[in-house]
Amino acid sequence: MTAALLPPWPVAGPLAIAGLLLAGGRLLPRRGPDVIALLTTLGVAAACILLAIGAADGPIVYWFGGWTPRDGQAIGISFRVDLAGASVASFIAGLFTITLAFAWGYFDEVHAHFHVLMLLFMASMVGFCLTGDVFNMFVWFEVMSVAAFSLTGYELKASPLSGAVNFTVMNTIGSYLFLGGIGLAYALAGSLDMASIGRVLANAPASPIADAAFVLMATGLLVKAAQVPFHFWLPDAHAVAPSPVSVIFSGVMVALGIFGLTRLSFAMFTGVPAVMAVTHTLLLGLGVASVVVGGAMALLQRHLKRMLAFSTVSHTGMLLVGLALGDRAGIAGLLTYLAGHGLVKAALFMVAGILLALCGGVDEIELRGKGRQIWPAGVAMAVGGLLLAGAPIGLMDDGLSSLAEAAKAAGNVWLLPVFAFGAGSTGGAVLRATGRIFAGLGPVAGIEEQSPTEQEQEKADRSFPFMLVCAVVPLLAVLATSHRVDGLAERAAVQLGAVAHKGAPVSSLLAWSGVAFALLLAGTGLWHPALPRPVLKTAKFLVRPLAASLSYVHSGAVCDYVAWLVVGLALFTAAFALV
Amino acid sequence: MTGWLDVLPWAVAAWLLGIGLYGVVTSRNVVHLIGCLSVVQGATYVLLLSVGFRTGGIAPVFYAKPPSTSAVDPVTHAMVLTDVVVGATVTALLLALVLQLHKRRGTLDPEELRPMRPK
Repeated sequence: MTAALLPPWPVAGPLAIAGLLLAGGRLLPRRGPDVIALLTTLGVAAACILLAIGAADGPIVYWFGGWTPRDGQAIGISFRVDLAGASVASFIAGLFTITLAFAWGYFDEVHAHFHVLMLLFMASMVGFCLTGDVFNMFVWFEVMSVAAFSLTGYELKASPLSGAVNFTVMNTIGSYLFLGGIGLAYALAGSLDMASIGRVLANAPASPIADAAFVLMATGLLVKAAQVPFHFWLPDAHAVAPSPVSVIFSGVMVALGIFGLTRLSFAMFTGVPAVMAVTHTLLLGLGVASVVVGGAMALLQRHLKRMLAFSTVSHTGMLLVGLALGDRAGIAGLLTYLAGHGLVKAALFMVAGILLALCGGVDEIELRGKGRQIWPAGVAMAVGGLLLAGAPIGLMDDGLSSLAEAAKAAGNVWLLPVFAFGAGSTGGAVLRATGRIFAGLGPVAGIEEQSPTEQEQEKADRSFPFMLVCAVVPLLAVLATSHRVDGLAERAAVQLGAVAHKGAPVSSLLAWSGVAFALLLAGTGLWHPALPRPVLKTAKFLVRPLAASLSYVHSGAVCDYVAWLVVGLALFTAAFALV
Repeated sequence: MTGWLDVLPWAVAAWLLGIGLYGVVTSRNVVHLIGCLSVVQGATYVLLLSVGFRTGGIAPVFYAKPPSTSAVDPVTHAMVLTDVVVGATVTALLLALVLQLHKRRGTLDPEELRPMRPK
């Protein structure tokens, strides 16, 4: 089969298999659904890699049902497979493969339902990456959301159900706004094809309707990407979902919000100066706010999965900064960092899953010293923490260097300490928890003692070595692909339409300062009683009010979250009024 | 003719969005909140239909009509139909979640339904 006919299959294949599994799952032997789902994800990964190879010289455009545009008028629906979309889709399929392996035997009681939802989830994500039609993108966005909502509330216990409700309400409002934006874009351009809309908008006079279309679409995608001030649902959902599901949520679903916004911006809005101005200012600001708030909140947590969830907010903020900078280095950095962070976060959530299965919890204070028996998992977690902190090796570091280069080229050198803060605080939080759980350090809890937590347990009769291997594979992948994907990411960024600015490489000081900051924070968290009294008192005096107000804002009540969403919309309106 | 009638659907859509969001923010019952969510969705219906409307256009059925007859835009109708399906799915899922939640927590107040609590 040639690459020209391949585009529908990575989406249609898993959808069809999901349907068959739902119909016939009960007839299969006990491990049948596991095997079928794994083979499907492997097949999708292979197909997406073939697509990426085929798209190396230019996007593959596939019109469904042969409805090719006539006289420049696009009526049909297309998949427009570019290098970036196909690469991210391959990454998604790979991550699903390792996640399904990790979940082997987890969901025995429910026949194939878990696998059906996961295949649906993956198919919609791949469709989201490949589509060239903006309404089609909304449909995949929505299918992805519904699969995610049901996977979150899967356990049918009080906390997962509440988390799922918050997640659903926020993301549904986001998707309605997204749809409203599509309606406005269609009103202007008379087409739903992204490339056609882009051509019309570039030649049309400036109009508030184009601005409003961007605001609504961007808000919808930023809710999905959990960026300040739309991020509140994320820790509620990621902390309570089953661990294999959290792996996908934090590993790739959230980042897809930024990836979708990147595709939209480059395909549709590069010819609208007001939108570009807001992208370079407001989106940069929101990204920086997410990096800082996510990092600070991660430090305040005691529930490991909630900590990792806030760390996702912080690192996704770095992706948004890459988009806001928008040059070739920024977009290439975004793509590399997306993959690197996704793999590291996947490994960390798998370690959390191991703790939930074998130690009966993920509360770092209650688990102090209880991880000694499974110390290899602690090693994996420490490596993950160091990589989060920006250790100068592996994919994350490659991505961060590109982002830093873009920041320097744009004259925003102040972004470098922001990156170091985000990386250092999230890495520090993970290292502190590692020290406490696996080495029994830090008998006196600090300020994290007051944060929310939960008693829980996941299915225990699974093999520890096997789960550990699944958690180590992503870490090895991050280290092994070091400096190997820079070229690919650059070519993908060029294909999207990003232009190069001359930048200077950034010294490795950035990476080391992140690691040093992380070690400092972890050390302070574990050994703070040893500090001299005046230092301790001053620190408490400074940190307490800040921490209290941050925790107060993250209230857990969905009504408050929606109020913040309205604040975010107002910020966008103000930004357009000012440019 | 561009008069207030042309602006009306847009104003209604904006009003539905605003009042729906207000309802969600101030809601003290999750079932009521889900209703407000449907009001927000109503805004997208009105917006899409007004985008596709052509004054004097017929319904887009060209049986016994020449194809060049002015008709309202069927693409937006297809979008609204998809939107209806999405809304129904999400409402059903949310109501199911809330039903289970009520069994476990015994309340429907969003303030009481926070996922995790401090020790």
